[in-house]
Amino acid sequence: MTRSTRILMSVIYWAFVVYLFVPLILMVMMGFKDSAFIGFPIKAWTFEWYLGVFQDTKVINVFLYSMAIALSTTFLSLVIGTWIASFLGPYKFPGKLIVFALTCLPAVIPGIISAISLRIYARFLDIDPGMMAIILGHTVHNVPFVTLVVMARLATLPKSHIEAARDLGADSIVAFFRVTLPYLRPALIGAGIFCMLLSFDDFVRAFFLGSYQPTLPVLIFAKLRSGMSPEINAISTVVLVMTAILGIWAERSMRRMNKGTE
Amino acid sequence: MAHTETRQGSAEPNAAGSQRRSFWGALLGNSSYDAVTRVLFKTQRRQFIILASFPLFWVLFAHLGPILQMFWISFLDSYPPTAGVEPQLTFANWMTFFEARIFMMPFFRTLGFALTLTLTTLLITYPVAYFLAKHVRRGNQLMFLLLLLIPFWVGEIVRTYAIMILLGNTGAVNLILQWLGLTDRPIPFMYTSFSLSLGIIYLTSLYMLLPLYSSLEKIPRNYLEAAADLGAGPWRRFFRVTLPLSREGIASGCTLVFLISTGYYATPVLLGGPSTTVFAETIAGFFHVAGDEWPVGAAFSSIMLITTLTLTGIFLKLMGRTGKGLME
Repeated sequence: MTRSTRILMSVIYWAFVVYLFVPLILMVMMGFKDSAFIGFPIKAWTFEWYLGVFQDTKVINVFLYSMAIALSTTFLSLVIGTWIASFLGPYKFPGKLIVFALTCLPAVIPGIISAISLRIYARFLDIDPGMMAIILGHTVHNVPFVTLVVMARLATLPKSHIEAARDLGADSIVAFFRVTLPYLRPALIGAGIFCMLLSFDDFVRAFFLGSYQPTLPVLIFAKLRSGMSPEINAISTVVLVMTAILGIWAERSMRRMNKGTE
Repeated sequence: MAHTETRQGSAEPNAAGSQRRSFWGALLGNSSYDAVTRVLFKTQRRQFIILASFPLFWVLFAHLGPILQMFWISFLDSYPPTAGVEPQLTFANWMTFFEARIFMMPFFRTLGFALTLTLTTLLITYPVAYFLAKHVRRGNQLMFLLLLLIPFWVGEIVRTYAIMILLGNTGAVNLILQWLGLTDRPIPFMYTSFSLSLGIIYLTSLYMLLPLYSSLEKIPRNYLEAAADLGAGPWRRFFRVTLPLSREGIASGCTLVFLISTGYYATPVLLGGPSTTVFAETIAGFFHVAGDEWPVGAAFSSIMLITTLTLTGIFLKLMGRTGKGLME
């Protein structure tokens, strides 16, 4: 490519970065505004909104509730996803492609339809709206991602590792726990953090499957509908910082895993 | 070679804890454990069936089940069932959709929106992906990519709120426009198709960018050099070499963005207005009120699911791909 198109493209890249970051930076700034009215310009600054959030027991409860859902979801998704991957990965059988497609299905269904169908299904299974229903919904949504990540990692596990374990007297269960699982560790960490992010950030499933106790995104949504306030900015900023840290951590462990296999 | 690798692989867990080894050793030596596994894992076939049973159960029960149940409910005249009344089968719920304009309009608006936004996102992110894959040094690519990924991890609601602050009447854009003297009163960006489009592109652009980047990154540099040696100019090289070879990324990116953007509910509620009602809002309406409307909502969801999956199926076929490997 010529020099001018090259410069043009770097301008487009940086413009895109600005487009991604500016709204978030503005949102964080607004949380420091010393006025209940959302809008520019910001004339006076304060920490009060943030202090308020950390002292608000309702917000803290909602945060803990969301965390509990995210952790349970992550655990279940990892177990189920790994099981599906260790079945789909190494074995060849008729209809494998169909099972694979079914595994990926929840990941490609538009969010609202996924939420509605799970709401109906929870009613059918007699699960009341609330924590259990949300955990089920999030797990269904997350399993495809875990399966894909674990399958990719499994494909790089040398057959000789398992064979050696078998030669040394391990049966397939022991071989799985002593050889396969340690080998999968980086994939499980990466996929696990990704699951936590997906669950913690999810709105539409939590909204339709939840009871009166909201998750954090549902709480922010409810507050937004009754009017903007810097308090929402403060809550959102806390969420933003948490997710960014988790995301960078996930990215690092996945990157390390890819490097290890090259 | 294989042998040394094996040793390294198993040395780590051994060193991690000698206590654990005794646990596994004891487990293997335990006679009842031995008896159970002997029966369970007697043949390869039996082992396969045990390994397969739970995954098959899960995908049928949890992945396919909700969709089938939704289809089934859409043909019932009432759901959740009332005690003592047997629900009747009916097509009425499906027909409701074709009878009223207030249902058809949001449906076609959603599809139109999603198609336009997919195309716009492709046009915006292609140069960014190209720049990343071809012009940034390999060692720096991770940093440049991470810069784009960080905002992506922030959830739907928080990012939607960020757009609200950006575009509001007292938002940053209006402040700058007034300060520059381009307008003397705030321009109402919010609650229009403009604010909604901007918000959805903001949410989905990375789903386009990542597949594009990974397909562009795979194109060997010498292909382009060969084309240049044969006398192809920069534009010709782009249209004859780069673009066809990034088809894979275009196909996955467009599919993901299309499916995801049709599924948003909170973003249209917060950023859109009465003139931009999307089908997700229509569907959600049936679930806010008393249970009787569920079958209609189920029918509408089914219509949307069938339409979107059919459209993406046709699209992937045209792009010369099957759905396999879509998520990779």
